[in-house]
Amino acid sequence: MFFNSLAFAVFLPVVFFLYWFVFNKTKNTQNALLIVASYYFYSCWDWRFLFLLVFSTFLDYYTGIQIEKGKSEGSRKFWFWLSIIVNLGFLGIFKYYNFFASSFSDLLSSVGVKASPILLNVILPVGISFYTFHGLSYVIDIYYKRIKAEYNFVDYSLFVSYFPLLVAGPIERATHLLPQVKVKREFDFEKAKEGVFQIVWGLVKKVVIADTCAAYANAIFDNYTAMNTFSLILGAIYFAFQIYGDFSGYSDIALGVSKLFGLDLLRNFNYPYFSRDIAEFWRRWHISLSSWFRDYLYIPLGGSKGGIWMKIRNTFIIFVVSGFWHGANWTYVAWGFINAIYFLPLLLSNRNRNNMDTIFLRWNFDSVKVILNILSTFLLTCVAWIFFRSKTITDAFLYLKRLFTNADFSFQYLENERYNYELLILTGLFVLVEWNNRNKEEPISGKRSLLRLTLAIAAILAFGIFSDYKEFIYFQF
Amino acid sequence: MKQFLIFTGKIVLLTILLTIVLDGFYTAMFIQSKNRGKIDQVYNSEAEKYDVIILGSSRANNHFVASMFEEKGLKTFNYGMSGSHLFETSLMLKLMIERKYQIKNVILEADLNLAGIKRSDGISCAFLPYIHNSKVVKEQFETQTDFNELYYIPFYRYIKYEAKIGFREMFFNAVHKRTSNLDNEGYYPLKGVENGNMKNNIVNLNPLPHNRYYEQIKKICKENNINLITVMTPMCENVVGMDYFDKVKKAYPEIHNYENAVVENKYFSSCGHMNDTGAKMFTARIIKDFFNK
Repeated sequence: MFFNSLAFAVFLPVVFFLYWFVFNKTKNTQNALLIVASYYFYSCWDWRFLFLLVFSTFLDYYTGIQIEKGKSEGSRKFWFWLSIIVNLGFLGIFKYYNFFASSFSDLLSSVGVKASPILLNVILPVGISFYTFHGLSYVIDIYYKRIKAEYNFVDYSLFVSYFPLLVAGPIERATHLLPQVKVKREFDFEKAKEGVFQIVWGLVKKVVIADTCAAYANAIFDNYTAMNTFSLILGAIYFAFQIYGDFSGYSDIALGVSKLFGLDLLRNFNYPYFSRDIAEFWRRWHISLSSWFRDYLYIPLGGSKGGIWMKIRNTFIIFVVSGFWHGANWTYVAWGFINAIYFLPLLLSNRNRNNMDTIFLRWNFDSVKVILNILSTFLLTCVAWIFFRSKTITDAFLYLKRLFTNADFSFQYLENERYNYELLILTGLFVLVEWNNRNKEEPISGKRSLLRLTLAIAAILAFGIFSDYKEFIYFQF
Repeated sequence: MKQFLIFTGKIVLLTILLTIVLDGFYTAMFIQSKNRGKIDQVYNSEAEKYDVIILGSSRANNHFVASMFEEKGLKTFNYGMSGSHLFETSLMLKLMIERKYQIKNVILEADLNLAGIKRSDGISCAFLPYIHNSKVVKEQFETQTDFNELYYIPFYRYIKYEAKIGFREMFFNAVHKRTSNLDNEGYYPLKGVENGNMKNNIVNLNPLPHNRYYEQIKKICKENNINLITVMTPMCENVVGMDYFDKVKKAYPEIHNYENAVVENKYFSSCGHMNDTGAKMFTARIIKDFFNK
């Protein structure tokens, strides 16, 4: 059941009605309903993986309590590592086992040893990377005594399984979401209205921007050997907007839906393509994952406190692991590695926290510099996206090689029966709307919201791609 | 909560209103267009007179050189549509009759398309902008399972087929951006055999004994005193299951079998489509056999 499906359009109002009109007596009834709805939502993909979700929930719930109750350090450590190993074990088996087995086999083949790895015939449970990280952060926080263990199983289950964030985040923290589910929610019209605006804008990003760009990006990436320089540049730009529209659109819908139930989720995107350097980009892109890796991997490794080699090591670890989190493919590792290379000069020269302020443009030279910085950051990001989107690293290098050597800048007709340069107008308009509203979570609220809402709905109806339906990219992670 | 329900109700109302406005606007743009394709050209014409009309799929569109008929003094247009099935072909003829066309001869390509009665979504959707304005379009779609959605839900047809009749096509219609569909009196010549797929397997294909839409075409022609010439057109040498054409002949003895009129692969662009040279040879044969009196 996707957020942009007819099934969800029925599911959401039904749950909303039951939540506020039937199960609104206490927070327990509210939470119980949301859990049932969440499990139903998840089982719509594959009910068998529901057992995995329930097991993962129970494991972290139980180990969390045992860690807190543990009288000796040894006992606390035992339960802590049990949770970490089992959680990462599941992730490893379902997501990475086949990759490591075949990579190892390839390595042996390259030195002349023939090996036939035993591969598992399993599909990746949707959302496993997200709910595993929910659970991990919870257990780690208890172990380090940052939070208390949750004794109410229903409340904890809702924290892990809450349907708006279950399959593609944002990756929530116990410190943020758990306190909210522990109190009865009262209906707040303004919050619900904001939620609706955010859902509508998320849909614009998904069906108007992401899916339209996807049609062109796919046509270009899948046939890059026949494309000229201009088309290859467009391909990278279109993919940049596809993945941004897709993932941030999903996050907007998740945040908006959650507001309808009176729960605030962590903001996941903050106009990343307006970043002035890569460090700022990573403070604005997939914020919940970046901050997760910062808090649970980068800082425990020593962060940027040690010597120069320590800084370099930690930077590469966090970016490569972050890339690998996205999927079991060397292309994601390469994407993470490239971002580490982009980030490192800023870190080593202590300029990684330079652009913390809001962007303002005036008619002066500084503003020209800001615009150039934004464009160059976007350009670097697009180069990295080529690795993210390509099927193999070789494809990514060949794509780049052709981009730099073909030198043909004419318009090309694509297989999808459309001329791709028309899309530049649409993405340009989108950028303009986002730029003008960069200080808000979404551009519909505020003055003339009715007009903005009308235009957004009209855009969904008129420009949305519905015939070539595409699921959200981040569901595969 | 009451405030929110009213707010949500207003959004639903606004969305419905928008679908009605957009539907009306798109339809108005499509209805005034006449240089984008064969369907809008027919819809926006009245009482045209033709000696020969060619109908069928791409195997009509790429095989009948209309100008060769014209050279013989026969006013001709090739209304074959690539990707179409007999559903669209019969609807095209019905639309012509509704528009009071006077036609002496219809050459219908009927061979592979006799195997089914399904509509071709990619082509039939081009008729949908006229569903509220043309009785024959409405009646043709009434037999379809999704008729109610297509007819009654405003803007649904433009959303469902947005790749074909969505914003871009509407925009091009509005600015009268022309296509090459109407060039060469509708005939679309194909190039040589380079990269052509010269293999085809039609073993599992069987002509339906009473193809509903073919029977409709026959009936319309009879009622309107149109001479119907139905032909099977050539395929390349490497077809597996060539006895399909014999099966057609057995089921429909009135259909002329020209599958062997052009045989060598050098006259084909792909297995089911002759190139321009092949099409000219084939058209010459048809003119000789039917219009040389």
